Formats: sequence, structure tokens, C-alpha cells
Amino acid sequence: MSQVSVVLVPAPVEKQGNGKRGVEQRGNEKRGVEQRVIEGALRCICRWGVAKTSLDDVAREAGCSRATVYRLFPGAKAGLMEAVARTEIARFFAGIGERLEQAESLEDALVVGMAEAGCRLLDHKPLQYLLVNEPEAVLPRLAFAEMEQVLRVASTFAAPYLARWLAPDDALRAAEWAARLVISYSITPAPGTAIDDEGSVRALVRSFVLPGLTNRNLPK
Amino acid sequence: MAASARERILEATYGCVARYGISKTTVEDVAREARLSRATVYRHFPGGKDDLMAETIRWETGRFFIRLAEAVAHADGLAELLEEALMFAHRAVAEHEVLQRILQTEPDLLLPQLSVDSDRVLGWIRTFVQAGVERHGVPAGVDGAEAADYLSRMVLSFISAQGRWDLTDRAQVRELVRTELLAGLEPG
Repeated sequence: MSQVSVVLVPAPVEKQGNGKRGVEQRGNEKRGVEQRVIEGALRCICRWGVAKTSLDDVAREAGCSRATVYRLFPGAKAGLMEAVARTEIARFFAGIGERLEQAESLEDALVVGMAEAGCRLLDHKPLQYLLVNEPEAVLPRLAFAEMEQVLRVASTFAAPYLARWLAPDDALRAAEWAARLVISYSITPAPGTAIDDEGSVRALVRSFVLPGLTNRNLPK
Repeated sequence: MAASARERILEATYGCVARYGISKTTVEDVAREARLSRATVYRHFPGGKDDLMAETIRWETGRFFIRLAEAVAHADGLAELLEEALMFAHRAVAEHEVLQRILQTEPDLLLPQLSVDSDRVLGWIRTFVQAGVERHGVPAGVDGAEAADYLSRMVLSFISAQGRWDLTDRAQVRELVRTELLAGLEPG
């Protein structure tokens, strides 16, 4: 994916058009086909990775014509792959948001948020395929300048949920901290810690994270 | 002698990358720079250029962490060790001219290799963090090896990206170490 820059920003939730019925229906159909193409592209990535997937493959997988893929995704393959990444990232954050909303304590919010993120990363078949077979499509997004961007996006997303228990600044700090841990433990697994397991994440959070957020007797 | 020829080739590859970048460097260039024959280069690196690049990145990364370990060797206590490590590494990355140039021009040829080696890199960091943790001690219920692993991951994460912290500011680094690295390791 060297030529594709994946934009790591959650896509805004698309508003349903409230125009005339016909327009709305056509809009829905278009979104339906778009969704099918994106799902098709994800299945192709699971099989061949990004570099080897062609728009023909995606069209065949989605059961539509190549022309349709071109029309729906300006920017050809790079445009399509960006849309795929945006969709998956939006889905990732939406899933975590649902869990965070229900959390009843700071500890729970950290635990379910991190474990949900861990599950979603480790169970994401296209992502895991790429990490093994085409790491250059993913890993550069998690280092140096791009890592700064990922941390900004993730902490801006998660901080408002944590602000129920923490001052705004501490919430941002805690959110970035949690994002670092999710990335580290999901890219380089530790023998003793499973980032997709709530029990395991709870032990991590209790040992190392909560004391730094709540303990007033921090080391001098 | 084998080790020194290998070392010469790695050094030569590094020199070529510094001058021409990764994609433009050839095995020919490396052989000339090392004043060895191409056959000798291939004998040490049978995979050719890809092999050379992977091993050179690994070698320079290793040297980076040796310098880091040396920089923190005199530290008095775990907190100081971590502060020194974060500040030294952050500065060393920023001032590493070859690294910075490649990050600008050919990041996709460098970063996957660095990330693929993250297990090994964590191991290097753990070697000097572990000793600090053992001297510092851990509270009941916390496993020393797990604590060293946690700290090493945090250090590596901060080497890659400082996020909301300014790692050139001693006071901020002290605060970071106090809250996010060591708060869980205070006895009772």
C-alpha cells in the first residue's frame, strides 16, 4: 500500500438525506452498493493482501461491474483502499464507543475500552492477514509521525468518555496512555498479557495504570 | 576474520544508505565501499540487497540501543534510569540524520523492518530496565518480569511518538515517569 495513504480519522456519521423519496431511495441503493464493494475489498485483502488485489477482483467479489467501482470510488484503487480503511476505522471506534458508554467506573472504562480495542484488532482478519503477509501496508502507520497522528485521534476519541471520572487534561492523558498499551500489546504480544481478554487487561490496568491516575501518594 | 568482514559490509551499507538512500544503493556500491568483492558480500549476505538492508537496519538499531544502555548506565535508581532513557532516546532519534532523512524520503522501506523487529528491540530495552527493576523492587502482587516488560513497552512507545508530552523538558519527563511508568511500582 506504499502508494496509498490511509487516513486514520474516523469518518463522520453520514446523515440520511431528507430530500424527496426517490432521491433518498437512490441514495440508499448507492450506499448499499458502496458497502458491498467495501466488503468485497475486505474479502480480497484477506485472501491476497492489498498490493495484489485488483479492482477487477473487487468488482467480481462484490458482484458489480468495474465501471461501478470506478464511479463509486474516485481515485481508483488508492481511493477505494482509503474508503475501506476509513470505514473499518469508523466501525472500530463506534464499537469501542458503545462499550465505553456503558462503563460505570474509570477502571471499567479503561478495561472494556482497551479489551474491546484489542479484540477488534486481533480478530480483524484483513488486518491480521496484512500484519503477517504485507506488514508494509500497516506498520508504517504505527511509527513516528503517523503514530503521533494515531495517538491524537485515539485520545481525542476516548477522552470524553473518561472525562466522567477525570479532569479533561487527565482524561486526554489517560486515553493516550491506553492507546499506547493497546497498540503495543496487540502488535507485539506479551506472554503474560492478552490485550483482548478483560481479565488480563484488568490486571494490567490495576497494576500499572490506575495507580498513576488515582493514587495521591505517587512517588516523589 | 569472518565477523570483521561482516561488520565492514554492514558499515559500508550504512554509509551507502546515508549517501544514496535505500532504494538507490546496490550490492555493487556496498562492495566498492567495503573494498571487498561482490562475491564476498554475497557470501556473507546470500539474500543480496534485501538481506543487506534488513541486517543493516538491525545492526544500526542494535547500535542505537547500545548507546542508549551506555547513556543510562550511570543512573541512580529506576526513576532516573527511565528519565535518562526517554530523554536520550528522544534526542537521539531527532538527531539521527540518516534515520530522519529516510523517514522523510523512504519511510516504507524502513518502518516495516523496524516494526517487524519490535520483539527484539523490546528485548534490548528490557535488558537494562530489568536490572533497574530488580534493584528498585516491586510491591507485593506485582511480578518483576511483567513490570520490566510494561516499562520497556512504554519506553519503546515513547521513543516512537511523544504524544502529548514534551520529552525535551526534564520536568515533564520526570512527571511522566512518576505517573505513567512508576506509580504502580511504589511499595504499599
